[in-house]
Amino acid sequence: MYSSQVNVQIFNKKQGQFIFAVVGNPNSGKSTVFNKLTGLRQKIGNFPGVTVEKKLGKVHLTEKQEATLIDFPGTYSFYPTSQDERIVLQAFINPQDENYPDAVIYVADVNRLEKHLLLFTQIKDLGLPMILALNMSDQAEKEGLEIDADYLASQLEVPVIEVSGRTGQGMESLKREMQTILLTSKNKQLPNKSFYPLSKEEEQIAHKIAKIIPVHTNFQAVLIAHHYQRLPFLHEIQRISIQETLDKSEFVSLRQQVEETMIRFDTFTPIVRKAFKNTKPTRSTFTGKLDAILTHRIGGPLIFVALMTLVFQAIFAWATYPMDWIESIFIEAGGWVKYVLGSGWLSSLIADGILAGLGGVLVFIPQIAILFFIISILEELGYMARAAFIFDRIMQFFGMNGRSVVALISGGACAIPAIMSTRTIGNWKERLITIMVTPLISCSARIPVYIVLIAFVVPSEAMGGWGQGLAMMGLYLLGIVVALLSALVFKYILKSREHSFLMLELPEYRAPMLRNVGLTVWEKVKSFVTEAGKIIIVISIILWALSSFAPPGQMVKAETAAKAVALEQELDYAATQDLIAAQKMEASYAGILGKAIEPAIKPLGFDWKIGIALITSFAAREVFVGTMATIYSIGSVNDESSIRERMAKERNPVTGKPVYTLATALSLLVFYVFAMQCMSTLAVVKRETNSWKWPIIQFAFMSGLAYLSSLLVYQILA
Amino acid sequence: MVAILTVNPYKNALKPGKSGIVSQFSDDQLGSKLLTMGVLPGSQVEIVREAPFGGGVVIKVDNNYLALRKQEAECILLK
Repeated sequence: MYSSQVNVQIFNKKQGQFIFAVVGNPNSGKSTVFNKLTGLRQKIGNFPGVTVEKKLGKVHLTEKQEATLIDFPGTYSFYPTSQDERIVLQAFINPQDENYPDAVIYVADVNRLEKHLLLFTQIKDLGLPMILALNMSDQAEKEGLEIDADYLASQLEVPVIEVSGRTGQGMESLKREMQTILLTSKNKQLPNKSFYPLSKEEEQIAHKIAKIIPVHTNFQAVLIAHHYQRLPFLHEIQRISIQETLDKSEFVSLRQQVEETMIRFDTFTPIVRKAFKNTKPTRSTFTGKLDAILTHRIGGPLIFVALMTLVFQAIFAWATYPMDWIESIFIEAGGWVKYVLGSGWLSSLIADGILAGLGGVLVFIPQIAILFFIISILEELGYMARAAFIFDRIMQFFGMNGRSVVALISGGACAIPAIMSTRTIGNWKERLITIMVTPLISCSARIPVYIVLIAFVVPSEAMGGWGQGLAMMGLYLLGIVVALLSALVFKYILKSREHSFLMLELPEYRAPMLRNVGLTVWEKVKSFVTEAGKIIIVISIILWALSSFAPPGQMVKAETAAKAVALEQELDYAATQDLIAAQKMEASYAGILGKAIEPAIKPLGFDWKIGIALITSFAAREVFVGTMATIYSIGSVNDESSIRERMAKERNPVTGKPVYTLATALSLLVFYVFAMQCMSTLAVVKRETNSWKWPIIQFAFMSGLAYLSSLLVYQILA
Repeated sequence: MVAILTVNPYKNALKPGKSGIVSQFSDDQLGSKLLTMGVLPGSQVEIVREAPFGGGVVIKVDNNYLALRKQEAECILLK
């Protein structure tokens, strides 16, 4: 029966790690304690199969001894209602699980201890060694709250340490206690005290389950009985046997669960009450007053809109300065490489492939950093829970979460940080829908495309000069409306086993801890660069190869032909280079692809030149403008108004009519509103959903939507 | 026994300030989740505030503040 436990010990020892799980309720300040213990010695990953963030950290207990810490998502009990909470159950119920801990640091907010010990008693009944860390003890002290830690320790049968993640108070004692557990846990014994005496029936069930699968406490067996249908480590045969066992009994999971929860509260509430030497002060009136304003029926949404305007302005406008620096550094570097290495394919690979790709990754850092700086300050303050509450009803209608509002609004600047911000949405379906529709909100990369094309649709003097602005707004509205409608469709298509809840604790407002904010920003930037970055660079190199290579001999032929034309027309140097670039682009694989897809995009009013731009702008939408400039051999000019002039002159070689009619331009605009023309977004979606399935579905649905709408627009107008 | 909150489409039955002692829950699934968050039979609850756009409510349980959807709050039955 204990063999599994022994294996775990050996397995952990092999890696030389002793694993402490850091567990607690949401808002217990668990992550602050984790950050305080580990500092920058953190690694971010995912729990297996899902995209709940897993933070691993190292802590030095003594000069020689190190232990590993895993920061688990905030959880109320072993009866999970979200993916986050399920992680904790799955890791703790199976000693073979890679995240199964050797011991547990349970963090509880000392000010709300009465509500924070349910999960503590459950973990205790699994027989794991534990330390109870009473967090925010500095605040409790300030408010005159005194607690008898020794009494608690004797009643709960665990070491109890008063700590403060904020000031660092008690961290040394906590480390000493961890050290003790690390040294003594080998002669571990089952707990003396159970916080929940099993009923006769549960005991019988536990006995039968122990015959099906080895367990080391009865409570573990009971948990298996509750959750066997969703435990991946059980074999099908075991699952069937458990099912049969339960069918023969009168085990009703939900009833049993309610019963257990109430008994547990009945057991520990008196202990907690007795441990307090004086009565608890009531919630500060400050939080109450602030809530009266921030969640006010009219004022609340208005303040939210004002805050989001700030967020939007920050990522939309302020981020452009560092973004411009990053871009120009990479352009300089590319130029330098070409200067040093000459004009071979290698220098082109480094300059136009790798460096351009790297620049394309790093250029997003300012937006990601700024968004998460603001969001995590708001989160630390306790404001995000209020925002989720305010917008719950509206977003619920569209199958999303109150927190989705932040992602949708940030998507107006850039979908990448926006999609990364959806991690705080606990319900998987709501999070997925938010991820799927956010790229439909027009981002800043679409603006250059809109600016070039709107002029063909609306003359600048239309509606007394307001026409173009209104057209721009129309495109934004189109994106928003279609994003919401798509969300509705996903709401009915996607199946979910998870019940959707709001049920959110509104914590007291607190001054944000800059250390936590800094760590969040650092983690987000790091994970984007290391994970999404790889994919972006690979795609960037593929796109570079497509537009730099041609079937053997074709490039030379294109260049010779261009030079001959230039000589004949007596073009100057710049114009000759532009012509060569244009001819080469046409001869390249990208050019061949553009021509190949022409039959498919002709019904939308696009020719092969637009086809090439569609392919190259998959890197990022704004590349469309640059590609058009190259194709129309004005690459050296490359500003929006000259491109527009050149496009206006473009005639169809067969009919002699302008290519950019109202119908074509409008069709192209609609295409860019909907199409998933951004490899970086797809790379982030891949990371956030942990599979290729969802980015592929997203690409297909957005491209399909773009194609059909453009087809409709062109066929009606042309 | 009365519900803390009844959603009546014709009349806004919600009254911030309404309070009482929790007796039980009319929905097991919602009830079990409320229990884990510390809404227990015998707890003192009070409706503190209503969300904008007719969304949810904020309730105060003992010294804790929870944001609930209306149908979540509805299942709390008072003594």
